[in-house]
Amino acid sequence: MTETNPAGFEIRDYLRLDLMPHFMCPGCGHGIALRALLWAVHELGIEKDELAIVSGIGCSGRVGGYIDANTYHVTHGRPLAFATGLKLARPDLKVIVITGDGDCLAIGGNHLIHACRRNLDLTCLMLNNEVYGMTGGQVSPTTAETRLTTTTPAGNTEPAFDACQLAEAAGAGLVGREVTMQTPALRNLIKQGLEYPGFSFLEVISDCTEIYGRKNDLGESAEMVLSQKSDMRPEAYGNVADQPFRPNRLLTGVLARNERPEYGETYRRHADGVANGGKAGA
Amino acid sequence: MTAGMANLHGNHACALGAIAAGCRFFAGYPITPSSEIAERMSRELPLVGGTFVQMEDEIASMAAVLGASAGGVKSMTATSGPGFSLKQENIGLASMAEIPCVIANVMRGGPSTGMPTRPAQSDIMQARWGSHGDHPLIALAPASVKEIHDQTIRAFNLSERYRVPVMVLFDQVIAHLLEPIELPAAGSLDLVERRWANGDDGYQPYAAGADGIPAMTRPGDGHRTHTTGLTHAEDGFPTQDPDTVTRVMDRLLGKLDQHGQDIEAFECHDTKDAEVLVVAYGISARAARRAVRQARERGIAAGLFRPITLWPFPEQALRTAADQARSVLVPEMNAGQLVLEVERICRDEVRVAGLNRVDGQPIEPSQIARRIEEMAADD
Amino acid sequence: MTTDTASAEVGERQQPGAVADPRTRNVLIVGVGGQGVIMISKVLALLCQTQGMQVKQSEVHGMAKRGGVVFSHVRYGAQVWSPTIPMGEADVLIAMEWAEGVRWLPFLRPESGVFIADTQQVIPPFACRNRQFGADMAYATETPAEIIGRVSDGFALDAGRMAEELGNARAGNTILLGTLSATLDFPLDDWLSVLNQFVPKGTEEINRQAFLLGRDWVEKARQDPAGPAGLAPELAPPPIQPDIDVRLEITAEWCKSCDICVKLCPERCLELDEQQIVRLKDPDACTGCRICEWLCPDFAIAVHHDNLAEANA
Repeated sequence: MTETNPAGFEIRDYLRLDLMPHFMCPGCGHGIALRALLWAVHELGIEKDELAIVSGIGCSGRVGGYIDANTYHVTHGRPLAFATGLKLARPDLKVIVITGDGDCLAIGGNHLIHACRRNLDLTCLMLNNEVYGMTGGQVSPTTAETRLTTTTPAGNTEPAFDACQLAEAAGAGLVGREVTMQTPALRNLIKQGLEYPGFSFLEVISDCTEIYGRKNDLGESAEMVLSQKSDMRPEAYGNVADQPFRPNRLLTGVLARNERPEYGETYRRHADGVANGGKAGA
Repeated sequence: MTAGMANLHGNHACALGAIAAGCRFFAGYPITPSSEIAERMSRELPLVGGTFVQMEDEIASMAAVLGASAGGVKSMTATSGPGFSLKQENIGLASMAEIPCVIANVMRGGPSTGMPTRPAQSDIMQARWGSHGDHPLIALAPASVKEIHDQTIRAFNLSERYRVPVMVLFDQVIAHLLEPIELPAAGSLDLVERRWANGDDGYQPYAAGADGIPAMTRPGDGHRTHTTGLTHAEDGFPTQDPDTVTRVMDRLLGKLDQHGQDIEAFECHDTKDAEVLVVAYGISARAARRAVRQARERGIAAGLFRPITLWPFPEQALRTAADQARSVLVPEMNAGQLVLEVERICRDEVRVAGLNRVDGQPIEPSQIARRIEEMAADD
Repeated sequence: MTTDTASAEVGERQQPGAVADPRTRNVLIVGVGGQGVIMISKVLALLCQTQGMQVKQSEVHGMAKRGGVVFSHVRYGAQVWSPTIPMGEADVLIAMEWAEGVRWLPFLRPESGVFIADTQQVIPPFACRNRQFGADMAYATETPAEIIGRVSDGFALDAGRMAEELGNARAGNTILLGTLSATLDFPLDDWLSVLNQFVPKGTEEINRQAFLLGRDWVEKARQDPAGPAGLAPELAPPPIQPDIDVRLEITAEWCKSCDICVKLCPERCLELDEQQIVRLKDPDACTGCRICEWLCPDFAIAVHHDNLAEANA
């Protein structure tokens, strides 16, 4: 009927129901992101048997386990590297990486840079809640300056990453960001990422109410998701918003496209060339 | 590479053994003295429809190997000491999640950056205990170029059969040694393929039968299982229930015990009446072989026990070999690592001594021969 | 929204006193963004200048890209003082959108005003303020026949469809300009020559045809009010949301009392019960918008539109 109608999308069809309710804290935005992901998977008609979810360590790492698919919960920071092996060995699979700001940008930062550079057909969903939630709320690479965490008792003094700029500069094929409150828009962004034949990096601004929100007096979950929305500026507004009315805010939407060849295809073409007696790259 | 005689470096023999074993995925990172394995794999894999990728670091290459293996493809990586250290976290994941994989570690002088171009045998204990927590694994120590080739094939067979990481430990000397070897004809090898789940509704990814080894599944087979480094129950999902954890960890840690016959490989030379038994592996065993022969020529009842499987250690075989011995000598290119295991096994019966070198030079036969004479005289 | 009031005070080619009919005429052109209101008013203003009259044109635009209201007052005569038309003094009200025409009717001279309206409907978001399924649109319910019966001289035509049949859907405003020309005393040739200056290169002929089509349509409607041109076309019924049943399915054992749904429900129809589990407090207020379903991190709410398939059938 309308664009936002789920058209037969029943999230229960994609969940491991015997594990529900999931273990995330009340009001954790990761659940909203999971809905948007599964909604996108549904709308694209991706078969669960062909879907592989690779996640690392932390709250984000536990999200994948609730999906009724082939799920891998690997070592801290390494889901992109694991997924690279999986996708190269099994190009027939749809491989999605679910990671967090610490998993992806700190301990796994190198893997992110090179996954962007390589442009293998993976979709990386980075759930950014600005904190190490699982370990009790330590400062992360995306924690805003001055924020209180258990390891920045007087306020964070380190600058934060703009993960999307990092991914764009490293060559990711498609880069985007969305807040959880714009669930249909987040679903659309994830769909674009899943459909993109190459590496897509999607940052989801998620909320950690129980630890980060409470420590920094950011309100309850509803207030946090609302303020995340008002802190962001749709990319479609373009440079209008570079004017004073919302300065220094992060953009949402598709933020960058680098039209580059998908790595798996490139490798297989070169390998075929070698196998047929030519030189690699011939 | 076609069958027949060939002159090969140890590193190239490793690569060709892997291809022959059915390895179709290699992820690696350049490191001396193992880089030739990656280089050879980058040329060989495209010829057999496989995939080579040079990852951004040692950690990533181990993770990518696990990803590819989880996808159902026989996979390996190769490295040396510093890289071996970095790979340990994902070796632990391989043990825990029971993802088959092969790791070639061409040992060089350590610790830290150490002596990159000089040989050592100093990663023996790291191979066993490098990753945190109790975990099952197999380590093999070939002593020649031919044996590198054959043990690499065997490493894949063991890994696929028992779902453990298998390490092939050799050193810079054999890695860069050129020796003639006979390559087997394609199809002449006994290759082990992973046991796949058969599509039963009641399939549990970590429930094993009598052999202790669960059948595996890969994406697309329809089972849609969960694989995690967390302690998990038979269904693959995390658990902290003490009874369940005891049950699943007992199986995991004990799963190799009943397969010792298949896993443990060793060689005995003149051990039946040996009063001085030399226990040596890898390149040091070649020196020991000559030293033992020289001792015999001088009338000393010396013998050599050469474990090819280092972990799990062929304990019973050593006991048998050391039955007559009054003393045991363990020459190794480290400050004394495998000697600890030999002491554990033999200490009640015999005197155990080490012969160690950490200067980046191989142990010479004359060194061992001298010690054999000393030990024989002491008895 | 920006508001521009532009006044043009020109027409010094002839002395004001030389104009045959010195009375000030008022033409009010209304519509929504993008329809060509300004184009019509500019053509008319320039035409008046060429006739030696004084013209004042005053417009409000700025929401053009968003379908917002656009109107333009054109006043001409020997001497024009005020730039805007007082209530009840428009000689001609020409509306390019049906509801806008109805809305501006009070500006028309009750006794002699001419009403020309396109029956095209552009329904603004404000007409959808009642979010309940099955709710009526807050859009003009008056039919063309009713309005034409109320004014002294009225014409309602589907200019968009006529333009489409002519071969260029964008020529609708030129058709309306043609209808306007039939109600004002300017020579046809002058109309056509001014029009030529305004239309894009290459579209002169189709615009000429469109203009003549609109002009002839008025003549035909006057001659034969019962004929096809004279009959007011039926309005398309405004699209309404189908009347479907909304049902909230709450999985109580999954709810973690985070309160997101309660606080972000636009109708404020949810609450936490004694056990701090979400419940539907006011079923009648629920519009089934799904925001609670989307934003529940625990998938504890499912919104069902039960007879959606039948409603769409």
